[in-house]
Order: sequence, then C-alpha cells, then structure tokens
Amino acid sequence: MSSTLIETAAFPASLTTLRNGLTVIHQQTPATPVASVDVWVKAGAVFEPDEWAGMAHFLEHMIFKGTNNLPPGAFDQEVEFRGGVTNAATSYDYAHYFITTAVQYLDETLPYLAEILLNAAIPDDEFERERDVVLEEIRQSYDNPDCVAFQILSETVYQRHPYGRPILGTEETLAMQTPAQMRAFHRAHYQPANMTVVVVGNLSREAALSLVERTFDSFPSPADWQRFQPEAEPPITHIRRQELCLPRLEQARLMMAWLGPGVDSPLCSLDEQLHNAYGLDLLSVLLAEGRASRLVWELREERNLVQAINSGFSLQRDSGIFTISAWLEPDDLERVEAIICDRLSELASTPVTQAELDRCKRLLCNDYAFSTETPGQLAGLYGYYSIFARPDVVTAYPQRIRAIQAEDIQRLATQYLSPYHYAATIVRPLE
Amino acid sequence: MNLSMTDSTLIQPLHRATLSNGIVVLVTENPTADIIAARIFIRAGSRWEKPEQAGLTHLLSAVLTKGTETRSSLEIAEQVESVGASLSTDSTTDYFLVSLKSVSADFEEILGLAAELLRSPTFPQQELELERRLTLQAIRSQQEQPFTVAFDQLRHMMYGEHPYALSGLGTEYSVSQLMREDLLEYHRTHFRPDNVIISLSGRIRTEEAITLIEKTLGDWHVPNEPSPTLQLPTIHSTPVCKAIAQETQQSIVMLGYLTPSVVDNSITAMDDFPTTQDYAVLKLINTHLGNGLSSRLFVELREKRGLAYEVSAFYTTRLDKAQFVAYMGTAPENTAIALEGLHSEIDRLSATPLTNNELQTAKNKILGQYALGKQTNAQIAQTYGWYEALGLGIGFDRDFQAQIASITPDLAQAVAQKYLTNPYVSLVGPASAVQELAREF
Repeated sequence: MSSTLIETAAFPASLTTLRNGLTVIHQQTPATPVASVDVWVKAGAVFEPDEWAGMAHFLEHMIFKGTNNLPPGAFDQEVEFRGGVTNAATSYDYAHYFITTAVQYLDETLPYLAEILLNAAIPDDEFERERDVVLEEIRQSYDNPDCVAFQILSETVYQRHPYGRPILGTEETLAMQTPAQMRAFHRAHYQPANMTVVVVGNLSREAALSLVERTFDSFPSPADWQRFQPEAEPPITHIRRQELCLPRLEQARLMMAWLGPGVDSPLCSLDEQLHNAYGLDLLSVLLAEGRASRLVWELREERNLVQAINSGFSLQRDSGIFTISAWLEPDDLERVEAIICDRLSELASTPVTQAELDRCKRLLCNDYAFSTETPGQLAGLYGYYSIFARPDVVTAYPQRIRAIQAEDIQRLATQYLSPYHYAATIVRPLE
Repeated sequence: MNLSMTDSTLIQPLHRATLSNGIVVLVTENPTADIIAARIFIRAGSRWEKPEQAGLTHLLSAVLTKGTETRSSLEIAEQVESVGASLSTDSTTDYFLVSLKSVSADFEEILGLAAELLRSPTFPQQELELERRLTLQAIRSQQEQPFTVAFDQLRHMMYGEHPYALSGLGTEYSVSQLMREDLLEYHRTHFRPDNVIISLSGRIRTEEAITLIEKTLGDWHVPNEPSPTLQLPTIHSTPVCKAIAQETQQSIVMLGYLTPSVVDNSITAMDDFPTTQDYAVLKLINTHLGNGLSSRLFVELREKRGLAYEVSAFYTTRLDKAQFVAYMGTAPENTAIALEGLHSEIDRLSATPLTNNELQTAKNKILGQYALGKQTNAQIAQTYGWYEALGLGIGFDRDFQAQIASITPDLAQAVAQKYLTNPYVSLVGPASAVQELAREF
C-alpha cells in the first residue's frame, strides 16, 4: 500500500454546515456569467425496501409535480422563463436536482427548487398520471438491448444487495405503490442532514450562504423510517454466467463484471478505498480507453474481433463495480472472453511499464481538467463526492492518480480482477 | 422580462484572420483554464457524395487517423494518448471535422499531428478494410434502436434521391464498393487550404495562435484546380405516412416537415420585421414546441396526459432543406392517440398565435440555452467555426440572437402556416398498432 501523505491543491470551494444540518458547498467562479446549483440527496434506490423498488426514481419525477403552493410544472416554467435549464437524476446511492442559469436569476429561481424539494405534495391524481410516464420510461429501456443486458449483469453481480435491482422498478412494483407511501419516503429522506446544496458561479460565499439559508429553511418534520440496511454482497466465488437472446439484435454483447471496493467498507480507511478506486479507474483506461489501450488495440485493431470494447469502474458507497463490455459477432464470444481473462492474468503477473502507466495517468488527469470547465460540471463533481466521500478530496484527484505505482496496479488486478471469479452476461441475436 | 445574460457572455473577444493560402483562423482567448480546444472544419461532408459513393466521407474520417507518410496507426494513437490529449474526426452532412483538445503546453504538438493527418494521410489498405467491416456492422446495428429505424424511414421519405436521405454511414452496398482510390480522390478534391477553417478557444494569445497555425499550415498550397462545385437533386415535398412493423415495447411516432436551410434567405414578408429569416422563427417555434420541461409537447402530452416519457422536437441546421421533427415513444395501444396529439399540437401553431407570455418564454429559453451552449472551450470553438464553415460568418452569432428577439406572435404564426401544415409521418411499432393507422392517415 503506497498511500502516503499527499500534497493536494487547495480546495477552491468552501464547505459549511448550516444550523439545521444542511451541507452547503460554494465556489466563486469569476470568469463566467453562468451559475449552477446542484442539490444532492441521500435518497437513491438503495433506501427502498425490496417491494418498493423504483420509488426513489418515481419520487424524483413527482418532485416536479409541485407543492400546495406551486402547481405542477410551475417550477420548470419559472426556470425556463429565465433562460435556465433544470433536470434531475436518480441512482442507487443518491438523487440530485440541478439548475443552471444566468447568475442574476439565481435569487429568483432557487426558492422554487427549494420549495418543491422540501414540500413536495405528491397529489393522488398526479401520482396516477406520472406512473404512466415512468411505465413509458421502463418500456423505452426494454427496447434498448444495452440497458437490458446491463440490468441482467447487475442482477448477476449483486444477488443480495439492492444494487442488483432496476432503479426504474418494474410494472409490478410500481403498481403496488401508493402516494401515502411515497410521501412517507419523501418526509423521511429529504431532510437537511441527508442533503448537500452546491452553488457554483460568480457570487460571493456570503451571498450564496444567505440565499441557501433563506430558501432551504423550513423542512417538514421528519417521518419515522425503519432504516433499511442493505445486506453486504458476498464475493463472487466462481464464474456466474447469464445468457439470453433478444429479437432484432444485429450483434452480440459480452459484458463482464467484478466487485470492487466501496467507500463505506468497514475494513479500510476512506484513503485506502479511494486509492483502490482510482487504481481501478486507471486499470479501465489501461485496458480500453483510446486506440493504444491494450484491449482496443488487440481486439479491435489487430485481430478484428470486436466492433467496440470499453471498460469502467463505478464507485459506489457499498461495493463498486468494474465492467468490461464488448460488441461483437456471436461466433467470437468465447474467444474474446478467453482473451480478456488471459490479459487480466497477465496484469496480475507482470508489472506495467512506466510509459504505459504514464499514458494512463496523463489521460486521467487531463480528463479531470477537461471535466471541470463549467459551473455545472464543478457543482456535479462536488455533489457527487459529498455523497461518496468528502467534497474536499476532489481536488486531490490528480495528485492521487500520480501517486499510483506499477505494483499497485498489479496488486489491484490480483485482488479484484480475477479471471476465475466474475459475472458475465452474454446476449445473442434471437434466431 | 427580457433576458440579459447574452449581453455578457462574450467576455472573450473573438478574432478572425485569413492566411495567405485561404485558411480562416478564429481565435477566442479564454485564459480561465489551462486548456486549448480546436475545431478544424473542412467544407466537405456527405452532401458531396455521389449516390454510389454513399458513406465515403464517413469511411475517410475513420481511416484518416490511421496512417501518414511518417507514422503508423499505433504511433499516431500513442502520440495523442501519451500526452492525454484528444484528437478525433467526424463527418456530417455539411462539413468534415477534426477536433483537438489538450493542455496548453501540448497544443503545438497535437496541432502539428493534426496538420500532418490533414495533408498527407496514406489511407493504408489494411486499415481501410478494417474500418469498412466495422462500418458495415454499424449500419446493421442501427436497426436495433426503434428511434433510429423511425428516423431513417423519415429521412428517406423526405429526401428521396438527395444525400440527406442517408444516415451518413452509407448503405451496405455502397460501402462494400468503396475503393482506396475513392478516398484519395475525395481527399484531393476537398482537403485544400482555401476550404479550411480552424477555430480555437483557450489559454493562448491571438497572435501566438495565428503564428502557430501559419508555421504549421502556412506552406500548404492551394491547388490549381478550381474549388469543387455541387449539383444536388431538388427536394420535392410529397408528404406521406409509412409504418415499419416490429414487435417493440413502445411505438415510435414521428412527424417531419421540410423547412428552410439556415442559409436560405427566404423571408416571410411582414411589414414590421422584414429582415427576420424563417430559420430563426422556426428555431423559436421549435423551442416553444419541444424544448424543455415547460414546452408545449412536454406539458400537453406527458405532464397532462401521461402518454410518453420522451416527447420532443428538433429542427436541424442545414445547408440544404432542413427537417422540423416532432416525435414520441408511447405504449402500442396509445399510438393513434399519440399521433393525433402531436399533429393537433403542431396544427394549433398555425391556427392560434402564441400568447405574449408563451412567446417571451420561448425567446428567453432559446437565448438562455444558446448562451449556456457556449461555456466550454470546445463549445466556443465549435460554434464559431461552424458558422464560418456554413458560410454564415461569425456575425451570425449576434444576428441570430437579434432576429430571435424581434419575432412577434403574428410572424411566428405566419411561418407555422407556411411550413408546418402537412407532415410526413413515420411509425415504428407492433403491426397491430401501426399498419392500419398508416393506411388511414
């Protein structure tokens, strides 16, 4: 473990906890007329009991249906009337809601966002209507073979943990949910201690704090909630394989996945977990980012065995997931899977060269620079880290990447990317 | 309320210069981050392809980065990736594009490499065969997505023999026939300095940028042949309704209208605002109709009726006749209702003028989003380079915003009546949901 003390760039944002427990992150960006607010809530799909699968995401839709003081659609209208954009997303560990607008309209639009987040009314008739919209969203995902395949892969990897459930839920789980249950879910989770408001733009810290204090003020009293404790996912001890055939498919898919570290592990410090997580990021770049990466070069360019191949590591609170996905001819499925396993063994047995390591580090550090250009990108990044770790670790990213050594990569490949213990989903065209 | 953000978005001044060989250079100095992004436009694109060569521009873009007189495919990739930069090529209907991004210190090296690719690609036969195979597979894979199938059908219906009818990848037949000589000929014809615009944005001074480009590309000579000219088939409006039966979970319902090119000067004669192009008016109408959570289609068909998750509209910016499209995905049993809903919302634009509030919201929305679309260095370089490549000039940035601001409800209604009355309809979904409907429409 080469996790030594790391010199980090100063955190350019400020971190404040308000009296009600709400976390506020602010950064002033003088060069832009644009401001972004991104509100992150620890109310993702993992907080649902099994039979309520899909509720966190459905609630995200219902937030936009207004409050007793604000009719459905009024919030969107107010933001867009001022030339701004707004949207939201739900994942397993969080839901988040953002506005991007000219800085001078932040005062006028943020109160509306706070109102719908804090006081969502979830009216019965709107609930029924919006359920149809979510059902359409589910149908749309069923028509997308990559979505279908990834969901099967998640279920194969996470057999106990809620990370294996579809975020959207299913027709069956949605049909059973009631507005009263959703109101309880909302009152329990949309509470200041679970929320981070990130403000990035050309406004001072004082102005930002005073705006957030004014608008995110009167939270409803919290509903009782039996905190649902997800079961830890046991390690994968063999090769779990799921195969399916889909109609209208023009090429096969091979998706492979390994369990990775999560930030909440009781066994390791946050520092160690981040070090491992970033090492796995680097491994995904080494394997499949750019034409010169190992798998792209060998499988796409040299041997013409795949149409495309990619890899990624997704950090989560509990165990994260490392994936390799390939699009290819059905006849090449077995061969490509075998080659990938072979290349993973190589990573475990042979240290990477300095040049290859440097290439990956440069790519990751520059990707970081390229994805922190706008207030919206910064607000998203700080909010994301407020869910997973602490926002002030963000700026240490390049330093942590540079600290990774060849032996770390070898150790991580050995520890996490076993060619004998993984999950695979294989999708073939229906004959 | 009138929006005021757009006044302040052009914090960084834009400079334009023309080198002696005709290369147009656009520089936006933006010292905020240690990044330089560049977009190199070539006035080419798939509209220049003969029917039997459909897909040529795309194939050329795939092979362009895979060999020069001095470098192999791997060497090129390693040079870019070892400094963590990005260099990619893209072909569209109306232009060819090379995109670069790096930290400032590496920019000269990456620009040098891009220049070499542009000027002396070798199109190795082996790489051509690899990319041909991958392209053929990509053409087949387009059939996997119901939206793509519906849009492909719509394009064919609307454009007939015109190159805009195709996706850009070409057809399985045409791609299988393309030869290395076709790529070389296309390259000789279109890749010439007087056809090139280099737009960059980032931490670089204007003089420094121009000197650098002069040094890298100043000795690229204009060939003796005159610039190529283009004869394209005329596009006739003959709206029809067609359906493709597939056992999908959702039906896709798509309406399309032939609309003016961005360079078309056709102007709806209105005494008050004689200089507003129909393009700007249609952009505004499209925003009102299908852009964002407060748009007409979103509110009427999703929010109030729960008919769709995705319901939207777009109006393409093209050198030839463009498409104004509204679409949604819906449960098969709702296909007819969805079609009726989309159609009547668009008809309503012709029947009833926008209220002042609707008009103002649409203006604020389009101008606000326009400003938000020029935040990153890559977005800035793209926007100005694109206007220059289309022949609109960088002044279009200002003119477009002024035109939007001047639109009245009467003008919007007149333009809707002129273009948005008789749609092409493309349906994809289960046979029972779409076939009867297409016959009846």
